[in-house]
Amino acid sequence: MKRMNQTTMRRLISIGMLLILILLFTILAGAGKGKFLNFDNLIEVVRDASIPTIIGVGVTYIIITAGIDLSTGSMMALVGMTMANIYAYTLLPFSVMIIAGLIVGLLCGLFNGIIVAKFNVPEFIATLATMSIFRALTYIIAIKDQNGVIKSQPMNHSQYAWLGGGIGKFYFVIMAMIVVVIIGQIVLKHTRYGTNLYAVGASKKAATLSGINVAKTRMIAYVITGLMVAIGAVFTTARLQSATTAIGMDFEFNPIAAAVVGGVALSGGSGDVIGTLIGALFMATLENGVRKLSINTAFQYVIKGAIIIGVVIFDATYKARMDRKAKEQGAKEGLE
Amino acid sequence: MAGNTILEAKGIYKSFSGVPVLQNVNFEVKAGEVHALMGENGAGKSTLIKIITGVYTKDDGQIYWEGKPVEINSYQDCQKLGVACIYQELSVIPPLTVAQNVYLGREPRKGPFIDFAKMNQMTQELIDRYQFPLKPTTVVDNLGIGQRQLIEILKGLSQDSKLLIMDEPTASLSGKEAEMLFRIIQKLRSEGVSIIYISHRLEEVYMLSDRLTILRDGKNAAVLEKKDIIPAKVIETMIGKVVDESAGSRKMLHSDDKAEVRLDVKNLTDKTDRYRNISFQVHRGEILGLGGLIGAGRTEVVRAIYGVDQAVSGEVYLDGKKLNPSPKASILEGIGFVPEDRRNQGFIPLLSTTKNVALTNYDIVKVNGTTISDADELAMSKRAIEAIDIRPSDPNKQVGVMSGGNQQKVVIGKWLMRDLKLLIVDEPTAGIDVGAKDEIYSILEDLAKQGVAIIVVTSDLQELLRVSHRILVMRKGDIVKEFKNVEVTQSMVLSAGQGVEEEAK
Amino acid sequence: MMKNINWSKYSKPIILAVFIIVLSILRPKAFLSLDNFSNVLWSVAVIGIMVSGSIFVYLVGGIDLSIATLCAFSAVVVVSITHLLGDTTAGVIVGVIAALIVGMIAGAVHGVVITTFKIPAFLVTFATQSIFLGLAMIFTNNKIISCTVPAFTAIGAFKILGFPLPVYFMAIIAVISWYVLSKTVYGRYVYAVGGNPEASEISGINVKLVTIVCYMISGLTTAIGGIVLASMTQQASSSTGAGYTNDVITAAVIGGVSLLGGEGTVSGAIFGAVLMGLLNNGLNLMSVPSTHAGLVKGLVIVVAVAFDALQHADQSRKKVKKVKKAAA
Repeated sequence: MKRMNQTTMRRLISIGMLLILILLFTILAGAGKGKFLNFDNLIEVVRDASIPTIIGVGVTYIIITAGIDLSTGSMMALVGMTMANIYAYTLLPFSVMIIAGLIVGLLCGLFNGIIVAKFNVPEFIATLATMSIFRALTYIIAIKDQNGVIKSQPMNHSQYAWLGGGIGKFYFVIMAMIVVVIIGQIVLKHTRYGTNLYAVGASKKAATLSGINVAKTRMIAYVITGLMVAIGAVFTTARLQSATTAIGMDFEFNPIAAAVVGGVALSGGSGDVIGTLIGALFMATLENGVRKLSINTAFQYVIKGAIIIGVVIFDATYKARMDRKAKEQGAKEGLE
Repeated sequence: MAGNTILEAKGIYKSFSGVPVLQNVNFEVKAGEVHALMGENGAGKSTLIKIITGVYTKDDGQIYWEGKPVEINSYQDCQKLGVACIYQELSVIPPLTVAQNVYLGREPRKGPFIDFAKMNQMTQELIDRYQFPLKPTTVVDNLGIGQRQLIEILKGLSQDSKLLIMDEPTASLSGKEAEMLFRIIQKLRSEGVSIIYISHRLEEVYMLSDRLTILRDGKNAAVLEKKDIIPAKVIETMIGKVVDESAGSRKMLHSDDKAEVRLDVKNLTDKTDRYRNISFQVHRGEILGLGGLIGAGRTEVVRAIYGVDQAVSGEVYLDGKKLNPSPKASILEGIGFVPEDRRNQGFIPLLSTTKNVALTNYDIVKVNGTTISDADELAMSKRAIEAIDIRPSDPNKQVGVMSGGNQQKVVIGKWLMRDLKLLIVDEPTAGIDVGAKDEIYSILEDLAKQGVAIIVVTSDLQELLRVSHRILVMRKGDIVKEFKNVEVTQSMVLSAGQGVEEEAK
Repeated sequence: MMKNINWSKYSKPIILAVFIIVLSILRPKAFLSLDNFSNVLWSVAVIGIMVSGSIFVYLVGGIDLSIATLCAFSAVVVVSITHLLGDTTAGVIVGVIAALIVGMIAGAVHGVVITTFKIPAFLVTFATQSIFLGLAMIFTNNKIISCTVPAFTAIGAFKILGFPLPVYFMAIIAVISWYVLSKTVYGRYVYAVGGNPEASEISGINVKLVTIVCYMISGLTTAIGGIVLASMTQQASSSTGAGYTNDVITAAVIGGVSLLGGEGTVSGAIFGAVLMGLLNNGLNLMSVPSTHAGLVKGLVIVVAVAFDALQHADQSRKKVKKVKKAAA
């Protein structure tokens, strides 16, 4: 009998987790009342999952190279505040504002990438530091009232509001997510760059021997993440119709959690964008269910943390077992 | 049978910081031949290969490829010529498929996208042509080490390599996997691919190679045609004419069976079969040499005795008392251990000599309540520095910045501070200068005189003969030979390790 | 060629002196008052307490990203238990003990998970950070709970010889930490494990146990920090201690503690805490909002660790050269 592929197995587990969660909430909510399981609510779930997924695509790339990015939340705030400044102080059209936001995102990603790939600072330390740097920059450029107190900058323009909504229930952010996921998955699975990401994550040495530019590969992953964060910031501010210094506070947790639940191993070299999408849906379902069932939102944090630890422990033991099995089997089968 | 010369290295010189490693070495490979390269550790094999693959730059000499002089400055250069090296440490990427690995970094593309159909087809063609037991779409994760090695070979072949370099390819293969590899090597040869085959294992070389180049002390020792590859002759050539009898052979002395048994190892067997049913004894005051090829299971056995790794079955007794397999228990019972990989396992680079020496000895350093007596700790370190002449003699010097010899002295020195019953040293003088070597030998001899039982694992035959009172030779996880009370030569030990019974002289 | 002066030896006092001189010149009246001095110490105290414990984690090559929320959770525990026991002194004592136990258990969980499953420390503490936050929110019902029991507020406000109690706590904890790290066998093992875990294992050290204890110590001092903070502000909420994770790490890094493990001293870390306090105070006196300080702190971490990493790479290169020379 053919053994099931590790990746396929892990995918089934994450889908199973999502389905069990949906089932659980449906039962808890009382199937009849339909508080949880109805079209409108499920669309809400997908909408909530959209931004973590979009940013998660970049974070997935980074984690596949065995890296991490803890700065996405702060980066989002910085991008949002940059756009708010342009909105408040200039008469430039929206397109320019958005492009400026995207450029700031790219630059933030590039900054992370350079520290990590060129100066070899461990990823979590580097991005923990840039997390406070980006947040501080957000405060520095924050818009203040006459008394010099930081205020929330409204960005209530009809065009922008339109972007934050959708056509009926077909929210633009969901469409953007679908496009990003499709492109992200194609790049990952069907281009040299995608293959290089896996190679770098599995073994930097082997990648170098195959002529892959490891530093460049890692740097581009951070730049892509910067871009995705900027896209996330555009939709967030468009939906909120304002920018505050608190945007993205504690957000960095979400895309990482999504990736981890979706089977992107933090040791690098495995997982994909679809997995992160499933993971983000799982997290959004969890949040939504907790809200709909009027459970203290605080439990979310506990459950999220526990799930991440649980999944990571599972992955660590599972991988060790599979590796051992593969070795034993390989030795047994020999090369018949 | 073999065709024109494909690769020729002429008059190669290489030295590191003034120490000559290769001197006027010539090496020639013909098209479609399996050319073996042998020599003892440090004979210069890997340096020569690294020069051919562009990892090192040669000091002098010329390399010719298909008759034309070439400059190889990087691995990429050598790949372009058509030379591929199958690395000992595998460089395949587990999450990718066989085909993705073979064409990593050179994937055929349609527009910006990888053309998987074409890539898989190209891989399948290669597989069919050489009849490899692989499928292009299998994810490497699911494959054993042998198959992973085949992927590396495929990778070389996919670049139309005319010359494959295999460095100890069977080192981590099972018997079946190795047989498969041998069949493939024959197949490649018949396809006109040349192979440089580096191995310690004479039987493989004997079976596979068309010609054999032997290096000794960085110089050409011989080039043998297939018919001349006779084990005894090869071994003799590798070791060289024994000029100084006392260095080349030695009578095994002190195998005094009446002496008290200190260490008694009974039926030690490994979980993953790297050694099995190992039983032997070491007597009071005896230096037991453990010889054999690298990978014969010697390091694994001594690690199990000391308790770093655990054997699946078997017992170890020290002075009649059964040992718990853990480093801490071993230390308290009076066992010292000097590991093989000094840099990664031997010492703490950031800490001083004092703290490294004291690390295993806090049961004897004076501790008032919970407070370590700095004075006593320092005194101990000074004793160690004096006893074994560690330089620099500053006890506060970071060990990480010392020379290899002095680092090793720190590693050994900490054990001298204890009442030892057994000292295990694994490759005690690897990468150490001659002066320090002699000092380490005399320390071992002194310890033996005091009644300590000593096990020396070493791949350096000269060293083995010099320090041992008795020698056990391991081969493929078994003890295959014991030398005691006899005159032993290097070739006798080597033959036993190779599994070649030397013809009676 | 650079002259062979060991700058790192003198760098700390020099930096400190420069800092004080600059601030004295820029804001002579505000900065050079005894009141301000005491203020600096007060703000330094919490960081100092926490970094004295979390240094153990850095020394074994780990990290603790859960400091801020564990701080909040233990603050919440002490205040809620005090309330539960009728706002009595006994309640305060029980609460404090409970919070300390919570801190140690949290640390033990970190250590066990990290060593048993060989999962990176940052990931485990990143996840537990969320758990502690959630627990703090559940216990407080998302509110700020205040506590003005005299026995409790005294912890943060009581002064001896003009200095508030937390300063003494910091001093005591720092001295204990210094003692453990530089005078006990356990301390030796901590440096050994951080410097080379494999060699430590072979030297008979129980690497796992040593590491777990390090995380427990870190959890304990984080809890103490939380108690002190809650007492100083007379309240506890899920945001008590927000921002301290970075402040503690930054203090350690400024003080020369290597986040790569095996290198660093308590005196260095305390120096880092003092400098952080001065920095916060100075920026404050210069009317730079505290939120902006993150920029400086972040840059400090990046530059320090990048420098560390470069130096490590440089050292191993030099080492190779040296060995080759020695072979000659």
